[in-house]
Amino acid sequence: MLKILLVEDMPDTVELVRKALSAHGYQVVHAPDAETGFQMALDERPNLILLDLGLPDYDGQTLAGWLRAEPTLTGIPIIAFTAWPQETARKMVESYGCNGYIQKPIVKVKDFVDEINSYLKNG
Amino acid sequence: MTDEKIQLVPASRFTIEQLTAIYNQTRVDYLVPMPMNAKRLGDYIADYDVDLDHSLVAMQGDELLGVAMLGVRPGRTWITRLGVLPNIRRGGVGHALMTGLIENAAKLGRNFVMLEVIKNNVPAYQLFLKLGFREVGELLVLRRPPVIPPPDPVIADAQRLERMDALRLAGRDRGTMPWTNQSETLINAQDVSGLQITLADDSRGWLVYQRQKFTLTRFAYKTERGNPATVAYAFLSHLHHQYPRLDTHLENIQLNDPHLPAFYEMGYVESFRRIEMWLGNPPPELRMSAPGALP
Repeated sequence: MLKILLVEDMPDTVELVRKALSAHGYQVVHAPDAETGFQMALDERPNLILLDLGLPDYDGQTLAGWLRAEPTLTGIPIIAFTAWPQETARKMVESYGCNGYIQKPIVKVKDFVDEINSYLKNG
Repeated sequence: MTDEKIQLVPASRFTIEQLTAIYNQTRVDYLVPMPMNAKRLGDYIADYDVDLDHSLVAMQGDELLGVAMLGVRPGRTWITRLGVLPNIRRGGVGHALMTGLIENAAKLGRNFVMLEVIKNNVPAYQLFLKLGFREVGELLVLRRPPVIPPPDPVIADAQRLERMDALRLAGRDRGTMPWTNQSETLINAQDVSGLQITLADDSRGWLVYQRQKFTLTRFAYKTERGNPATVAYAFLSHLHHQYPRLDTHLENIQLNDPHLPAFYEMGYVESFRRIEMWLGNPPPELRMSAPGALP
């Protein structure tokens, strides 16, 4: 079973993502802040990290930077999950070494799951 | 929201955890959400001299509707962390909080009030205009990710400055800089140090910064002689060479700052912009450093 690490502080969003991805056969592990997220990435070795850019301790860009600087995590796709305007999200994704971004809020669950599938296939 | 009267209560009557919760609830749909945990908000209050006795929480009965905080320093105040629950906006809560803070500033003998608003947050911007604030400049929030390889340091005489020497340099004439970048912010901050640099052509300048566990932040800098962009490139090259794995996060850099080209050349990217607004005028002791004044 493929494992997704969701780093997200909003409980409603966590619940929605967990339901959507679990229903399609993914295991979802969750961290509510950046420090926990970094430790869980090391411990859980997820297949993909879905990363909120607005976290309560450090922001998501900072966490993306730590993850990308950690040699043992090389190759894991990091996908920013954000409501930021597209242009800002794109710039941050490129600058901080994320593989892409998914826009919040989730409007259609099927589209969201398709995007996750696509990032997993393409790295 | 009912017709019951909105009450404004000093924020000091609430715990940091309660203030964190109401602040985060007001920001869930925000342009740039910036959620905080209690530690981060506690640090923010300490670093920016937020006075909780004169900051306000809006309530109706037992329900918390919004929050707004007031920073207080000699001769000036600063409005920050203003937020209203999304489902009751445009109902007068933001106006009531702002009016209450302006009154609290006046009670403290300060008629000069500063604030920043995220560019394109039109409702907030309009509210501030209506209350008499005027636009004084545009500010940049910049980031430099640690994935960029560190540059070779420019050949120069570079001297590291310990905290006291660094603060002595940064402590001059910064009273009307954006609040986050004033010398008091650096004085309140931990782990502040600096770099003084002289280039071969005798150009000279300095940089003061805070080094946190994972980030470099809160820069104050000045070119004393020479081209600001050249001097800035030199001190940034030394800084990032020394700390290649640290993320860099800079707030409220003025759009007309002549050092800016060096930041872009060094790989900084713009995160978003803010508009700086003032109510009233800086008192004479602060005017030395007003935008456009000679250093």
